Amino acid sequence: MLAQQTLNALVAGSVYALFALGFTLIFGVHHILNLAHGAVFMWGAFVGLYAVTWLNAPFAVAIVGAAIAAGLLSVALDWVAFRPLRRRGAPEFSAIISSIGAGLILMNAAQRLSQTRVMRYPFGTFPIEVYKVLGLRVTLLQLTIVGSVVFIVAALFAYLFYTGFGRQIRAVAVNQRTASLLGVNPDAVYFQTFFISGALAGVAGVLIGIAFNSVHFLMGEPYMLRAFVVIVLGGLGSIGGAVIAGLLLGLIQTMTIAYVSTDLSDAVIFSLLFLILLVRPTGFFGTLHSQKRVARE
Amino acid sequence: MTGSLAAYQSLLDLVLLNCGLALSQFVVLRAGVFSVATAGLASIGAYAAGIATLRWGAGAAVGLLAATAAGMLTALLLSLPLARLRGVYQAIATVAMVQIVLSLALYATDVTGGANGLNGVPKLVGTPELAILVLAMVYVLHSLGRSRIGYAFDAIRQDETVAVTLGVSVAGYQALAFGLSGAIAGLTGGLMAYHNRSVVPEEFGFGMLVTVLAYVVLGGRRSVLGPLVGALILSLLPELARPLADNRLIVHGAVLMLVITYLPHGIVDSLQIAIRRRATAASRAQIVGKEAPDGPA
Repeated sequence: MLAQQTLNALVAGSVYALFALGFTLIFGVHHILNLAHGAVFMWGAFVGLYAVTWLNAPFAVAIVGAAIAAGLLSVALDWVAFRPLRRRGAPEFSAIISSIGAGLILMNAAQRLSQTRVMRYPFGTFPIEVYKVLGLRVTLLQLTIVGSVVFIVAALFAYLFYTGFGRQIRAVAVNQRTASLLGVNPDAVYFQTFFISGALAGVAGVLIGIAFNSVHFLMGEPYMLRAFVVIVLGGLGSIGGAVIAGLLLGLIQTMTIAYVSTDLSDAVIFSLLFLILLVRPTGFFGTLHSQKRVARE
Repeated sequence: MTGSLAAYQSLLDLVLLNCGLALSQFVVLRAGVFSVATAGLASIGAYAAGIATLRWGAGAAVGLLAATAAGMLTALLLSLPLARLRGVYQAIATVAMVQIVLSLALYATDVTGGANGLNGVPKLVGTPELAILVLAMVYVLHSLGRSRIGYAFDAIRQDETVAVTLGVSVAGYQALAFGLSGAIAGLTGGLMAYHNRSVVPEEFGFGMLVTVLAYVVLGGRRSVLGPLVGALILSLLPELARPLADNRLIVHGAVLMLVITYLPHGIVDSLQIAIRRRATAASRAQIVGKEAPDGPA
């Protein structure tokens, strides 16, 4: 029983990690708390679903399509909501407000498109296959979810730490002015980080949509609020921290629901967030320079 | 005729309640605390008033006092951990607080009525009481704003380092602002309970948080008129035209994005800045005009 719950937690946690990675990437590199990330995630789920129901696309194509569409949406979001503010040198506060506004607009558009319905994937979109491994029930879907998250996280690591583009992104994360003095084009970096962040959210949206077989315009909000827990627990902008924190979050949530109460799971998660902010506001994987941005002297 | 009058009266009540919430959000933002706890604090106030009346048969005065005290105490407690955090992290912590309150309200069915909320609260306040109490809040905030406290708030918001070098106790003034915000939110929550005759837990969630933030962003963060104008406009807009009501989210979203990008001080503050600038220009022109004849010939 416990082992089965842990397995379920691992699946839920890996999707949290995928969602939160994009969130933490933007926050870590550009210092923008992008509250429209949940809406991008939701639109990824919408694109995936419509690709299957309208275009009869295979599921794999739907995932890739959703990733690209959500990536582009995220880039557009940067242009419309954040770039004008950057030009003016507006404070952090403004970007948060602007992203809340953009998120509301995206949600309203999705509400109109779906006419407030909860939509489902047609039967047989994803083959239902159950394996017995060491006495545990594992579905093909769970394997696919964990497998794609592992692949994507590995690819992201490789991109950020072993390519020239990744080095530019990390340079901007440390100091954008210095990076641009050294010949890094900040606009190109913004384009990449927002595209990657949106694409990760899009994939997460499709995976969540098929896992719970439910796609609706409000689905992004709970994930976004929980992504706060991931970025605080994992430390500011830390990729590895976000992955571990995402898995931990899945574990805590699944265990609370299984052994305490469904209604209490949010209270537990957000109290944990509060506790971390009290005890160790930089999170558990944050670097030294994050201290300066989180806490007061 | 009486029908339309009644409709106007309920609209007026709605505007007054929204003004109360906006004032609560305004105080913290004016003092440079990036808290969005108003929704959670109002929820606590609403439950305090509702429970005081339903359980112990408290009258309106006692119930509202309990609501105010509950909101203020919670806010003062919250201000301790918030004082250690910086901008964005204060927002994250207070979003978590709103979620904790909501989740506990749904969980503690014995006390709060769970998802059904509290029903059958007697209607203890009408338009006159609402108007008097909101005016009292405005009066308190207005006179505080013109005192040293208001200048301290402005200094902290504009530049914390400068405020510290001027000998302003940042933590102290921010705790004061937060306590005031809590008292106002609690009182408004209590008024909502007595006016709507019920307390619905979901009403005090992320949606209210965003709406209340939109009031202050639209109106302005410096003058006490700002939140009132913001609440008035955004409460009345949906009543003006049906399409505006159907697309309330788009309207709020667009207002947030456009105002924070092109009118970052909000309507009222921008107007005041423009008027002051014109006044200084006029007086300078006068001085120049006077000086010219007796200038060194």
